[in-house]
Amino acid sequence: MTPWAHIPQLLFSGITMGAIYALVGLGFVTIARASQIINFAQGEFVMLGGMITFILLKGGGMPYPLAALVAVLLVIIIGFALHIMVVYPLRKASLPILLMATLGASIFMSNTAALVFGTLPRTLPAFLGNQPLQIGGIFVTSQSLFVVGATFLLLISLYLLSHRTMTGKAMEASSTDSLGADLTGISRNLMVFLAFGVSAGMGAIAGIFITPIFYTSYCAGTLIGLKGFVAAVLGGWGKNSGAILGGFVLGVVESLSVAFIPSGYKDAVAFVMLLLILNFRPKGILGSPFIDSRRW
Amino acid sequence: MVDSNQSEFRKRDLLYVLPLWLLSLILPDPHLDYRQEGRFRKRDLFYSGALLLLPIVWPNPHLHYVMILAGINAILALGLSLFLGYTGQISLGHAAFFGTGAYTTAILTTRYGFPPLVAFWASAAAAACLSYLIGRPILKLKGYFLALATLGFGEIFLVVVREAQGLTGGVIGIFGIPWFSVAGFSFDTYVKQYYLVWGVFMGLLLFCKNLIRSKMGRAFLAVAASEDAASSVGIKVAHIKLGAFVLGAAFAGFAGNLFACVISTANPEAFGLNLSVLVIMMVILGGMGNLYGPIAGAIFLTWLLDILGKYQEYSLPIYALILILLLITFPDGIGTRLNIRFLYLISYWGRKRRRERLDI
Repeated sequence: MTPWAHIPQLLFSGITMGAIYALVGLGFVTIARASQIINFAQGEFVMLGGMITFILLKGGGMPYPLAALVAVLLVIIIGFALHIMVVYPLRKASLPILLMATLGASIFMSNTAALVFGTLPRTLPAFLGNQPLQIGGIFVTSQSLFVVGATFLLLISLYLLSHRTMTGKAMEASSTDSLGADLTGISRNLMVFLAFGVSAGMGAIAGIFITPIFYTSYCAGTLIGLKGFVAAVLGGWGKNSGAILGGFVLGVVESLSVAFIPSGYKDAVAFVMLLLILNFRPKGILGSPFIDSRRW
Repeated sequence: MVDSNQSEFRKRDLLYVLPLWLLSLILPDPHLDYRQEGRFRKRDLFYSGALLLLPIVWPNPHLHYVMILAGINAILALGLSLFLGYTGQISLGHAAFFGTGAYTTAILTTRYGFPPLVAFWASAAAAACLSYLIGRPILKLKGYFLALATLGFGEIFLVVVREAQGLTGGVIGIFGIPWFSVAGFSFDTYVKQYYLVWGVFMGLLLFCKNLIRSKMGRAFLAVAASEDAASSVGIKVAHIKLGAFVLGAAFAGFAGNLFACVISTANPEAFGLNLSVLVIMMVILGGMGNLYGPIAGAIFLTWLLDILGKYQEYSLPIYALILILLLITFPDGIGTRLNIRFLYLISYWGRKRRRERLDI
């Protein structure tokens, strides 16, 4: 069988993965839009979302929707805690310090998760049963369709939150012009605090979506977080639409690459794309509001 | 580098006076005497004497082993200090150059039977060439984007090492790397390896001490302070950054060679993001823009990891927690912060006494 025969199937799984990357990338962008901070612990929210849902479902015996809801709320609280305990005390620190602090938080979260939840990979049952549907020549799991659909709903609600509400506008204002935001009475620390909550919640939802498709283990968060960040840079750093486009482009390219190169190299594809885009067009595909005006 | 809010008096400083005075005797102090950093001082005699006598006065093999690892980490931190501390650029891919050095040694000595001394220089050359190739395109990036690009490079390195099984032995790695030997003298015990590692380290430290007093070293500091100002006085910013990057990578190549010879295996698990984070932490905790700080940071963190190793699965969470707490408490390095507070305290008391004498 030639590699071309697999293309439609791979394309679909790429879109599913792209939806996840888009959600994770949006988590990065939400925080960056409020404060120019990059939270390297974003991937751990994804891992924690999946793991906590698993524990509540299997250990706590909760019904599935309730377990997912509680898990998202818990991860949002963890996101707030991360801001209060790590990012807020370092709000005036230089870049390498903040970078190391969020990376340290990431190491802390993943290894604490290994202690609390165990080191075994976990999986969740699919939301709507496990029967694959056959559409045309390709097999599609209902989970993947659900993930893509729900991601679009989330993206729309995030768009409304960040462009149509006062809070969303205030978040953006605190990042684009800090002095102006202070003068209009916006509490910048509060905005960053809220951004951490929103971003953690989105990470947790991505984690709950992804766990039925792939196994989640305590160390899975780092890589998926990094790829989400790559997606956000690929599409255009600091733009919601950029993170979404970048997520889907990354997911599809990564998935299609399996047809042409040995599958072990799949994880390198995202980073090769990153180096290429940073070298030839650091603004990303859609252009970035941050890169031209600031010294990044 | 010094925050303005550090020049205020805080009551809790009174608690620090005694430990601060003790620490200020041995800790490096970049803000006081950075001009004399290139010169040989009495303090250097104390440091090198302590390092020389340590294995003799305390004959404990475990101590020797940890100090060998600390020496390798110190070489890594010294190299990164040129790039991160002096030039002010961030690299999350330093472990990849360390890995390049280790794998070059492993392949040259086990497959082709080269003597370890040739592999020693070849590792540094390989790491430097790789860093030149990767540094040319990515060093035009700044801040978070440079961090992300170097991190991506580190991940690509790991994937390639894991997958290119014909060359690197895949996940299992390469075994049976011979001890380091020069002209028939084999470094086959921990004590000999201790002197080898710290000897190489001393050579590199002398190189750095001279380098930072040279035109290039001054240019590093200028680039860290302001790239625009540096280029306006005729410094080729891109060249200087690339120079610091390549030098740091060559140091990492030396460290990788020594690591491969001491551990006698090369395995991809050792060269991941965790090592890059560890090396950056050594530089940050030691203080940026200073040569002795990263060494102190390397010894401190290597011992910390060794002590935490006893607690097995609890070790990494505790380690991460300690790192975060240290970063929050001492964001510009332990020695730097403590020395500034100590100096301020002395000057505060001096001013107070003068005020009382003048009866204002």
